[in-house]
Amino acid sequence: MPVGLPEFADNTENRCPVILLLDTSASMSGEPIRQLNMGISDFKGNLLEDTQATLSVELSIITFGQIVNVIQNFTSVDEFTPPTLQTSGTTPMGEAINSALDLLEERKMIYKDNGIPYYRPWIFLITDGAPTDDWQMAAQRLHQKDAEGGCLFFAVGVEGADMNTLTQIAPPNRPPALLSGLNFRELFVWLSSSMKRVSGGKVGEAIALPPVGWAQIST
Amino acid sequence: MKEWRAIARSAVGVGHQKQNIPCQDFGAYSLIAPDVMVGAVSDGAGSAKFSDRGAEIAVETSILLFQKFPKDIYDELLQLTLERAKEIFEHLLKNILKKIEQEAQNLNCDYRELACTLLVFLATPHGMVAMQIGDGFIVARPHDGELQLLFNPDKGEYINETTFVTSSNAIEEMQVQVFDWKPYFICASTDGLENVAIEYKNSKPFNAFFSPLEEYLQETLVPEEEDQYIQDFLNSERLNTRTHDDKTLLLGLLTELTSTLDVPNTTTDEPEIEETEQKQNNKRSFRIKRIINFFLPSSNKTTS
Repeated sequence: MPVGLPEFADNTENRCPVILLLDTSASMSGEPIRQLNMGISDFKGNLLEDTQATLSVELSIITFGQIVNVIQNFTSVDEFTPPTLQTSGTTPMGEAINSALDLLEERKMIYKDNGIPYYRPWIFLITDGAPTDDWQMAAQRLHQKDAEGGCLFFAVGVEGADMNTLTQIAPPNRPPALLSGLNFRELFVWLSSSMKRVSGGKVGEAIALPPVGWAQIST
Repeated sequence: MKEWRAIARSAVGVGHQKQNIPCQDFGAYSLIAPDVMVGAVSDGAGSAKFSDRGAEIAVETSILLFQKFPKDIYDELLQLTLERAKEIFEHLLKNILKKIEQEAQNLNCDYRELACTLLVFLATPHGMVAMQIGDGFIVARPHDGELQLLFNPDKGEYINETTFVTSSNAIEEMQVQVFDWKPYFICASTDGLENVAIEYKNSKPFNAFFSPLEEYLQETLVPEEEDQYIQDFLNSERLNTRTHDDKTLLLGLLTELTSTLDVPNTTTDEPEIEETEQKQNNKRSFRIKRIINFFLPSSNKTTS
């Protein structure tokens, strides 16, 4: 028998970029933001259970409350420190969507320049209100990106969210989901199992995502 | 006279085990003549329900097609133009799609539920003809040369996107090539081993991955019967932490076929290895067995 087993090529792990786009406007204060903070912390824990997802997923967080803030640029799961989000002010959702798309473009350039293979990026929007800025242009740009397969955009409304506007912001083929109660933890469990699936197999048409148990209506 | 020594094995990925999905990879080969080998591997799309059947159909149809070819085509392999090779593989693709369509009707599903990639090669001592639809790789080496990656894996923008035989653009995306150098070692595989075997940044085969496999074939007279090494590797913890996908290895090595019962002095052009008496005896008894097998009807062949 040969001495030793085949050695492995030293390739960089495939990356799966995820942007959490979080509403931190004043209306989210109290219990909602507390639950959201716990959900994000669970999210990290769940991803760490899976070697492949830990190696692949890169997290970034953009908050919008009074101002748009990239509070966490892309980082690996094990180096990610869950933040304690604070709430204040208005809901500049349009600007937040634009920053998410910009951040994604930047990230893809870095991957391409370094020959790093990657999966389709996710943008995950969570809001409990209505945009207080001009969101139409941002939504148009987003729809185009999503249709070209440039990203997968999910919108989640928390009780009180303006679901009408959210429906216009979300891509036509992926309507927003309404979170039941403050079920953030389950939402993030779902997101991490989706991430585990995405960083696993090969896709033909689309990935069969786990059933959405955290939403009131799963369309 | 030369002969291909070969083995094909697949193992289910840990990701598939977790989700209770069967192994969707399939690989097989056939020695049409001792020195003419046809091999095929296929990876069923993870998102397609019956892609394991698709992979099986694609591989079996490929091998059957080449088995039916008139004998002299192999000798003409080197004269085969790229045009002609493309025609042959387009014809093959049509056959596969016909069978997939039939199977989809039996299974009462859309034919895309049988989506799979496909890599096929035909190798003689003088050259190779190969094709690839989708990702995965075929790597081969002439006796005194470097390992070569026959085609670049076909990827879209995203690592988990690729072309399948059932894709509308399969014909355009199909890569075909005729190689006129003499292959000695061949390895075909699905994308489950891609990131441990191929260096992405320069699209080069990683030597230290392939050399133990080649060594294994040099030392193993009947790989199909002595597959522990390959099985252990495909199911090793070390590999499974690096890939969650199904894995397939199809290996071939061109060896010297000795037609007499005399142990050859040292006229093979294989690298010399110190042989124990035991090994020489094994070789001799194996050759005797093979000659006996040759003269016996298939039902009473020895199978040890």
